[in-house]
Amino acid sequence: MSMAPAQKISTPARRRIDLQVVGPIVALIALVLIGMALNSNFLSYANITNVLARSSFIGIIAVGMTFVITAGGLDLSVGSMAAFVAGLMILVMNLLTDRLGVTLPVIFAGVALALISGLVAGLINGLLITRVGIEAFIVTLGTMGIYRSLITWLADGGTLSLGFEMRELYRPVYYGGIAGISWPILAFVAVAIIGEIVMRHTAFGRHCAAIGSNERVARYSSIAVLRVRLATYVLLGVLVGFAVVMYVPRLGSASASTGLLWELEAIAAVIIGGTLLKGGFGRIWGTVVGVLILSLIGNILNLTDFVSPYLNGAIQGAVIILAVVLQRKGAADR
Amino acid sequence: MSDPILSLKGISKSFGPIEVLHDVDFELRPGEIHALIGENGAGKSTTMKILGGYIDATAGEVLWHGQPTHFPSSDEAEARGIVMIHQEFNLAEHLGVDQNVFLGREITRGWRLDHKAMRTRTAELLDRLECRVDPAVRVSGLSVPAKQMVEIAKALSRDLRVLIMDEPTAVLTERECEILFRQIERLRAKGVAILYTSHKLSEVTRLCDRVTVLRDGAMVRSAPVSDITEEEMAAAMVGRELSDLYPAKAVPRDEVLLEVENLSVPGVVESASLTLRRGEVLGLGGLVGSGRTEFAEALAGLRPREGRVRLMGEDLPASEVRTALQRGLVYLTEDRKGAGLLLDKGLRENLTLPLLERFGGPLIDRRAEEAALDRAIEEFAIRAPDRRMRVGNLSGGNQQKLLLAKTLLSDPQVILIDEPTRGIDIGTKQQIYALIAGLAAEGCAILVISSEMPELIGLASRVLVMHAGRITGALEGDDVTEGAIVRLAMGLDDNREGAAA
Amino acid sequence: MIKTLIATTALVTGFSAAAGAETIGVSIPAATHGWAGALNFHAERTVERLEKVYPDLDFVLTTTPDSATQVSDLEDMVATRGIDALVVLPFESEPLTGPIQRIADSGTWVTVVDRGLAVDGIENLYVAGDNNSFGRTAGEYFAETLDEGAKVVVMRGIPSTVDNERVAGFEAAIDGAGIEVLAMDHGNWNRDTAFTLMQDWLSRFGQIDAVWAADDDMAVGALAAIEQAGRTGEMFVVGGAGMKEMVDRIRSGDKSVPVNVTYPPAMISTAIEMTAAGIVGNAPMSGDFIIASELITLDNADDFYFEDSPY
Repeated sequence: MSMAPAQKISTPARRRIDLQVVGPIVALIALVLIGMALNSNFLSYANITNVLARSSFIGIIAVGMTFVITAGGLDLSVGSMAAFVAGLMILVMNLLTDRLGVTLPVIFAGVALALISGLVAGLINGLLITRVGIEAFIVTLGTMGIYRSLITWLADGGTLSLGFEMRELYRPVYYGGIAGISWPILAFVAVAIIGEIVMRHTAFGRHCAAIGSNERVARYSSIAVLRVRLATYVLLGVLVGFAVVMYVPRLGSASASTGLLWELEAIAAVIIGGTLLKGGFGRIWGTVVGVLILSLIGNILNLTDFVSPYLNGAIQGAVIILAVVLQRKGAADR
Repeated sequence: MSDPILSLKGISKSFGPIEVLHDVDFELRPGEIHALIGENGAGKSTTMKILGGYIDATAGEVLWHGQPTHFPSSDEAEARGIVMIHQEFNLAEHLGVDQNVFLGREITRGWRLDHKAMRTRTAELLDRLECRVDPAVRVSGLSVPAKQMVEIAKALSRDLRVLIMDEPTAVLTERECEILFRQIERLRAKGVAILYTSHKLSEVTRLCDRVTVLRDGAMVRSAPVSDITEEEMAAAMVGRELSDLYPAKAVPRDEVLLEVENLSVPGVVESASLTLRRGEVLGLGGLVGSGRTEFAEALAGLRPREGRVRLMGEDLPASEVRTALQRGLVYLTEDRKGAGLLLDKGLRENLTLPLLERFGGPLIDRRAEEAALDRAIEEFAIRAPDRRMRVGNLSGGNQQKLLLAKTLLSDPQVILIDEPTRGIDIGTKQQIYALIAGLAAEGCAILVISSEMPELIGLASRVLVMHAGRITGALEGDDVTEGAIVRLAMGLDDNREGAAA
Repeated sequence: MIKTLIATTALVTGFSAAAGAETIGVSIPAATHGWAGALNFHAERTVERLEKVYPDLDFVLTTTPDSATQVSDLEDMVATRGIDALVVLPFESEPLTGPIQRIADSGTWVTVVDRGLAVDGIENLYVAGDNNSFGRTAGEYFAETLDEGAKVVVMRGIPSTVDNERVAGFEAAIDGAGIEVLAMDHGNWNRDTAFTLMQDWLSRFGQIDAVWAADDDMAVGALAAIEQAGRTGEMFVVGGAGMKEMVDRIRSGDKSVPVNVTYPPAMISTAIEMTAAGIVGNAPMSGDFIIASELITLDNADDFYFEDSPY
């Protein structure tokens, strides 16, 4: 019974972890290098700001999605939910403008409403999944259709637009910033940092991973499985609301095509980042890298005539698969 | 003596820089049952996997009828009649029993599956195993021993030349073991070469013709069973003489820590009652499926229950695992891999999982966790090559020690331990027994559930026995004998009056 | 068997028609984007109005998210409502040609709107916008307004026949005018996509003199990106389809949005009205009715502004 073999294994262990970590980062750096090679404006302040700011909606949502997926869940409804929350927010803000005029309280009310309706929407998903016991895929597929219909109905099939003056007042939330960094970027960074800390350094994050890894073990370890799982959906809902708060000032409108396919982009970003789709392991910084990879692909394609625009989707798909293959190869080497 | 059908010559195997098998010779002969024994991590599994064609050796030769051979995959080995029954069952849970037995080798009539023929054949095979499982039911609904029987039926359904069995009796009750042994003997008579592993040395003596002992990846002894005693086997495995397996029993004190009155779990447990005193080790015996596990799980809040449970004089609410833990009652599951440990996580994450709030809030103090792991590794003598490794890669004994450490992390007063030594080598068993006795001596109250009769007798001062959801009797002092436990477990003696004691 | 049944139903309702109620089925795509939303708006309003004007007429209005649903909707209309006339905007040409042909064969009046069927001569009446003219009108404005050597970018819609026809018309119109098309990509008739696309184009090209967005939703996105980049004075944006907000900007003389091109969703109203008139008046209005695109300018913008339209 000697402890002798203890030191022997440690070296390959370290190498294996590195491979896994490096995968998405290598992909990101490769994309940046390609972008620099193809267009001199790629690294310009304006372009970088554009890419980061537009990534922020999906990014903020994807952070929440990382928790849901890590805990072994899934949420397909976030895109429609974002559209619905945006529509609701615009509608209510327009109504309040009639009463209160173009004033800050209207914006505060709108923001509060977005966060609360996101929370409620997440709560509904979560309760149906945890208390009624319907599979997450089905529940959120259902709510996805419901929210998409609701926004179409709210907008009468058209577009809901914030009143012009209100839009001007609210506009700086997307276009403004401090020290040259725009608000959506700051918001995204804040959410990502907090998310990373919560995931890695709090009991909640650890419990999510435990539940996703083996729900029974989690239950036998006296973790309140249902409550934690419910919390992941609520958190995601609130983050969807927060993303909407950043989204609405951009164009000041919402329509049936708002947030279309955001759910898939968010899920793709999470998976590219190295979180396991079946749950049990998640990392927020990976998700952030995943979101940036997805955004950069679109950006680079727009900045060049490299391929026919008909093939944009194919390039995106190939990069997604490649990024994941790189990682899984790293994982398989263990 | 017939010539070997399958043998290993000078086999070594390395995983990365670590050599886990060194120069092993091993022979399987038709009509012979060859036991392969050793502690967890001694290299038994690796040896079996090489024989079964699952992995390749790093050096040395595999011989088939004396000719060097190579199985590119386990399928190739199976094609020659080499079948391995794994400890973790290889069954498709959502398919029926018959579908599993003929999985990949379905009987067809033309292009259609011949369900009737497969069902009939399966029924015949199960009948030979004296197993009353309906071939049409889904595997997921079967008990663990029944699944084992299905695995064996699956092996029987093939043209079997070599059968490799990885601890087949670990999950079986004594009666089921006997049935299994009869089957194995029947196969031996038909000229099948059998490799048998078990931690129960009495089985080796009872069943096998030849025994080979592995220690730390090397062959230390190989002899006909008639030439070697169980003590010698154990000594060869551990590498030293084993002192008495069971420690001295602690003396129960007067203070009652746990009182259970008429606890029922609908359909599984019916009005079971017991009292557990400080310093007491209470045994709970009975067949698998008699409701022992469900009883303990209901106590710990893992299952809904009716009836009254008083923990240290206060009522314990039902279905609240957290409350039970906080009030000092914990349950150590029998299902180590399915409910005990997160196999894809490291030791640290597993150890602190139930008690994260104790390691700082809102942020977890990783240094405190590492310190706790240091203590656990030290206290429970956990042998992990790398403390960051996945728990799934630990040997069964070390997993069990880690699970014990995790369960005991909250310093509980009342500990329910379900199958404390399932699938664990004798050296580790001894450590765990000492630990249980030590806990009792410190003043904990312990309920030990076990299918191993000697374990109950050796550890517990008092033994309750369950049958079909009821506590059918209580045995104390000299009355605690294998015969008495078996009679109660089979529902033959019913002295329920004594049970409430 | 089913076919006979349909025929009989049609016959029976045909008789009863003399006595009173005739039914017109209207099947259009669901309101999944702005233009389709307006189409729904106009269809519903027209149906309401006509039900008052013609008490003898019944209307069945269905909206469909895809071709398959539209086929079953049409089958239901014939089987359970016994429609006498059908006004349909086919979701896709190919899959719906067969089903509509069967309905036409059974003697039901068929009006096809906007998207032509794959086989000629099935419908009694064809009412459509002219996509080629839509692109041409914008292109002609570009050719007239811009100097030689001007640089433009083109934002296309979702890849489809409609989009191809529009772009073909545009390209034909600017041919020879010395206008350089810097880039052409799909904005998918979506504001967000257009915003992103325009941002990237603004990073990529130092000089852009004009933007043609083949739809007003995309124009809105493009304008927001231009404003963000602070390059508002440098270029103008021409969208299309006469969105309220755009027409309003033309009315008020906004230099960034000098003109717009119509592709009126109100064509559905025209189609329903003509069909109703044909059924009631027994004066069949058959043939093709193509609504060419018009250029909305500062001078005529008031005529194209509908206060209560959602679009």
